[in-house]
Amino acid sequence: MVQFHEHIITDLLEDPTGGLVILFSGLSLAKLLSSLLSLHSPSQGTLLILSPPPTLKSLIFHHHHISQNPIEITEITSDLPSHHRLSLYSSGQICFITPRILIVDLLSNKIPTSSLAGLILLNAHSLSETSTEAFIVRILKYSTQSRNQNNSNVFYIRAFSDRPQAMVSGFCKTERLMKCLFIKKLHLWPRFQVYVSQELEKDPPEVVDVRVPMSKYMVGIQKAIVEVMDACLKEMRKSNKVDVEDLTVENGLFKSFDEIVRRQLDPIWHTLGKKTKQLVSDLKTLRKLLDYLVRYDAVSFLKYLDTLRVSESFWSVWIFAESSYKIFDYAKKRVFRLARSKDVKLNEQSKTKAGRKRKSKSDHSNEGEADGTSPLTTSSGVVLEEVLEEAPKWKVLCEILEEIEKERQKQALSGEEDEVESEGVDNGIVLVACKDERSCMQLEDCIRHGPQKVLQEEWKKYLLSKVELRGLRTPEKKKAKLKPKQPKGFGILDGVVPVKTVQSAEASSTNKQEHDAFLAAASKIRNPNKREQVAEDEPQPLAGSRSKGARVEGKGRKKRGQANGKNSGSKDNDSNIDVVIKDLPEISGSKNESQTVENNQAAIDGYCEAYFEHASVVKRVCQRHAQEPDLTGSKNAKPIPPMHFYALESDQPILDILKPSVIIVYHPDMMFVREIEVYKAENPSKKLKVYFLFYEDSTEVQKFEASIRRENGAFESLIRQKSLMMIPVDQNEQCLGLNGSIDPLASSSQNSTRKAGGRKEIEKEMQVIVDMREFMSSLPNVLHQKGMRIIPVTLEVGDYILSPLICVERKSIQDLFMSFTSGRLFNQVETMVRYYRIPVLLIEFSQDKSFSFQSASDIGDDVTPNSIISKLSLLALHFPRLRIIWSRSLHATAEIFALLKANQDEPDEVKAIRVGVPSEDGIVENDVRAENYNTSAVEFLRRLPGVTDSNYRAIMDGCKSLAELALLPVEKLAELMGGQKAARTLRDFLHAKYPTLL
Amino acid sequence: PSVQSNPSRNAILVSHRQKGNPLLKHIRNVRWAFADVACDYLLGQSSCALYLSLRYHLLHPDYLYYRIKELQKNYKLRVVLCHVDVEDVVKPLLEVTKTALLHDCTLLCAWSLEECGRYLETIKMYENKPADLIQGQMDTDYSSRLNHSLTSVRHVNKTDVVTLGSTFGSLSNIMDASMEDLARCPGIGERKVKRLHDTFHEPFKRVV
Repeated sequence: MVQFHEHIITDLLEDPTGGLVILFSGLSLAKLLSSLLSLHSPSQGTLLILSPPPTLKSLIFHHHHISQNPIEITEITSDLPSHHRLSLYSSGQICFITPRILIVDLLSNKIPTSSLAGLILLNAHSLSETSTEAFIVRILKYSTQSRNQNNSNVFYIRAFSDRPQAMVSGFCKTERLMKCLFIKKLHLWPRFQVYVSQELEKDPPEVVDVRVPMSKYMVGIQKAIVEVMDACLKEMRKSNKVDVEDLTVENGLFKSFDEIVRRQLDPIWHTLGKKTKQLVSDLKTLRKLLDYLVRYDAVSFLKYLDTLRVSESFWSVWIFAESSYKIFDYAKKRVFRLARSKDVKLNEQSKTKAGRKRKSKSDHSNEGEADGTSPLTTSSGVVLEEVLEEAPKWKVLCEILEEIEKERQKQALSGEEDEVESEGVDNGIVLVACKDERSCMQLEDCIRHGPQKVLQEEWKKYLLSKVELRGLRTPEKKKAKLKPKQPKGFGILDGVVPVKTVQSAEASSTNKQEHDAFLAAASKIRNPNKREQVAEDEPQPLAGSRSKGARVEGKGRKKRGQANGKNSGSKDNDSNIDVVIKDLPEISGSKNESQTVENNQAAIDGYCEAYFEHASVVKRVCQRHAQEPDLTGSKNAKPIPPMHFYALESDQPILDILKPSVIIVYHPDMMFVREIEVYKAENPSKKLKVYFLFYEDSTEVQKFEASIRRENGAFESLIRQKSLMMIPVDQNEQCLGLNGSIDPLASSSQNSTRKAGGRKEIEKEMQVIVDMREFMSSLPNVLHQKGMRIIPVTLEVGDYILSPLICVERKSIQDLFMSFTSGRLFNQVETMVRYYRIPVLLIEFSQDKSFSFQSASDIGDDVTPNSIISKLSLLALHFPRLRIIWSRSLHATAEIFALLKANQDEPDEVKAIRVGVPSEDGIVENDVRAENYNTSAVEFLRRLPGVTDSNYRAIMDGCKSLAELALLPVEKLAELMGGQKAARTLRDFLHAKYPTLL
Repeated sequence: PSVQSNPSRNAILVSHRQKGNPLLKHIRNVRWAFADVACDYLLGQSSCALYLSLRYHLLHPDYLYYRIKELQKNYKLRVVLCHVDVEDVVKPLLEVTKTALLHDCTLLCAWSLEECGRYLETIKMYENKPADLIQGQMDTDYSSRLNHSLTSVRHVNKTDVVTLGSTFGSLSNIMDASMEDLARCPGIGERKVKRLHDTFHEPFKRVV
């Protein structure tokens, strides 16, 4: 543990009622927390941790597991029966729990609050006054209030955040947050804090900053994207809807730009025209493109562009911008170019020049002639010529690896005693950190098989995905292929091929020659595919020679044998296991090349045990990324050090587990850099060398530098805020003790008689029955603030039951639009009307967004079926009994509810639960039904053709998961779905061939 | 505007009270005519509307109540068309909402005269229209359906649908894909991979 970790904890523990800790990102929150948790003792009571994101949770488990005195951590899930949950609440253990379960159990008085020690929140930055977490804290604070007054064993609340930027995003966010969490102390731990910087900079790792120049086309693309962004921004300024100052291309590079724009536009979002909205999403797309440009290889980037072109709506502004042409053009040029087919003949004559082209190409044209069909290549007059530009970083990475290996060997030769000394510490592991899993896999392939091979694979896949495979199989189909606009035959439902505007636009703009050339290239690839399995070596020398000898290491590292990692199923698995075993001795710290097999084995065994015990979390990652050092001994292969690939996205404690001595940061990321610093500080005796790979003059560099600036800026602003903060010292007493109100933050309303939630009122307490699923929203919280009693149950009909007569379905604006489109709203209203006297649709606008659907100018001249006006009118016409409430905000809703309830009876919980439940289901199960379903899968299922409201339950009973559903034979489906027709519809849909892009 | 003496069945009948309301200028897609009716706008055999400007409501808080009472029970659909023309909307709207709800009126809010007019036009024009439009009948071609189902998984967008489709070839192949295969698709990050995989492979019902 680093020293400032201890500082943080001691500081935090000083105040027995808790505190808010804001850390710089990259300092492992999980590690900090596990040290904190190890101080917990069951005698204090149960400690609840509101569930962090799963990755953070597993990290906490991991660190906690290897700490000195692990106390058991349990997870409270909805799967546990309620008596089980109860016993956990009073067990004195540490429990993870989701806010939803906790609030429901609190509201139904299932938690003995006296047995709770405290509450830990790990995502302080994402909370607000109205979030469920604040609701929980309020109730807990209130019910433990007497305890706190006696000052015996105070209930504490500790909140953490490692996203300082997010903590300064709103007006006085931190201060407001602290008030609603009843926290008095704010602890700030920026990177520039004295303790922190002293410790981290005492013995920093050796850093090598490598600037890789981008290729000509990459620079061109980047320039074009920036140009288009600029054009979009100009367009946006014209709309006069946003503050111009913040709208710079520079800002546009960062994700925070979205926030800036959204914050400005959100209040008026529904009044914006289609065009402005499109511009916002275009800018997002463009930023993504910039990112992908430096992350993806040339072929994948092109492929992504293609999918964009197909999927972007024809409203898209950027696609038709002038410079966009360049983006597409350059992206293509990085991958292929079109050449006159004369070249082919030339090639046939002079084999010396054939290095540029695949040999099989000419083979194929011969074949074609032999078949009697007109050869595709010559008919169109052009052929595709592969360019397949490598990512410049690939080469540099290879060079670095070689350099590392050379150094290693030199060291091994030069000083034996040195070696002995460093043996235990320096294991020579090289860690390559990329942004995502995908890059990891690709880099791994790249190093193992050479960059050209990887690109060839991608290229092959690209071509195949572009061209309908079946169409190429038989000669007749081939003929059909020559007519590019073949309307049927994709074998889809009713043979309908969606020809979207964009697609057809593309088809006309892509010249026919290119189209034909694609077909030719793809058909050729298909054929060699078969041959390849017989003679695997064939394409390889070609690939090698294409690199023109400049890329020595590319040629050198090429492996013999079948290299296609994807298709050779079982074989690949074997080699995977190989990889791990071969690699492990390296990990365990031995560098001796001439180690005997027995030693090896012992090392493996020893290591494996330790490894699996502690590192089950990363097992998967390590296995996957363990890189096979070139042991097969191909003569010309240069040795490379043992290495691991790590995806930053996957958030694993990789540094602690592998203890690498060289780290190559392939995609620079501030958080990871901080992690490296901390790692180095924790292991001061270890030699550590870090390489950064930046593309020179790229947005990558800009982004990285700005992210550091932004974090520092955020902390500076927080420090300022802290000095001005108005947090009453006796906050607890003031809020809870003296006046008994639990509602210090109540809305501005003067309606004080309804305020004091827990206090006995003169008038009777109002009750509202709330559907479990509604606890995702903030309304229950606000209703409770208003003094209503919230009864959480699972409702089949409606979201809120205000009285025996009034049932409310709540829709946020976004929900409203979506559920009109899906037809769900119609069904919901239909059932409400069936069961309740006063069915109510509540349309809830958000406080900080505009209170209207659209501006007058957007209404248009005609009655159009898709406008929200038409839909609402139709709804009113079909359900004249439906009442509609238009609410300005959450607080307004609460007021309306209170008003409506004024002269009504209280709702009946038991009755409400039974309403609308299909009678064959019999008795309603226990409260948490919604939690017991894989909701995402159920939603997906219900959207499949042939699946209806009446048969989806039967389908779920009849098969376990969607994956299983896809495998069911049609007879079984018919049985489950209650009909041959529905079954066939579903089956056809599942197995329909996806139409190709070309 | 049609001739007053010939009130057609296809026209909105407007109460004389509404004379001079600038809203009338915005009823363009449907004919309208003045007539002696209890409501402000008679939109069909059994549907009618009252027009209420919130500004007017602030001056005459009881107006709406009396107008509703006048309507008696002659209509199936009774719309209160509320023109939101004040800034501070919460309190007056709360009163209007309560009055409308407790006296069996459907409240529709509009923020401009254009919008008010459009509501009146639409209700008249859709008088006998079936509800297909809001019953979720969507395009039935393959791509729309595929989009519709796959985009139900959170964070998956249309571009991803194209990527998935062209990579795996069919929905059943997508559903069968391993995490690793999913991760190889450009644009599909860790989060989406996990969500997709969970959706397809986690059982519908969690074991209790």
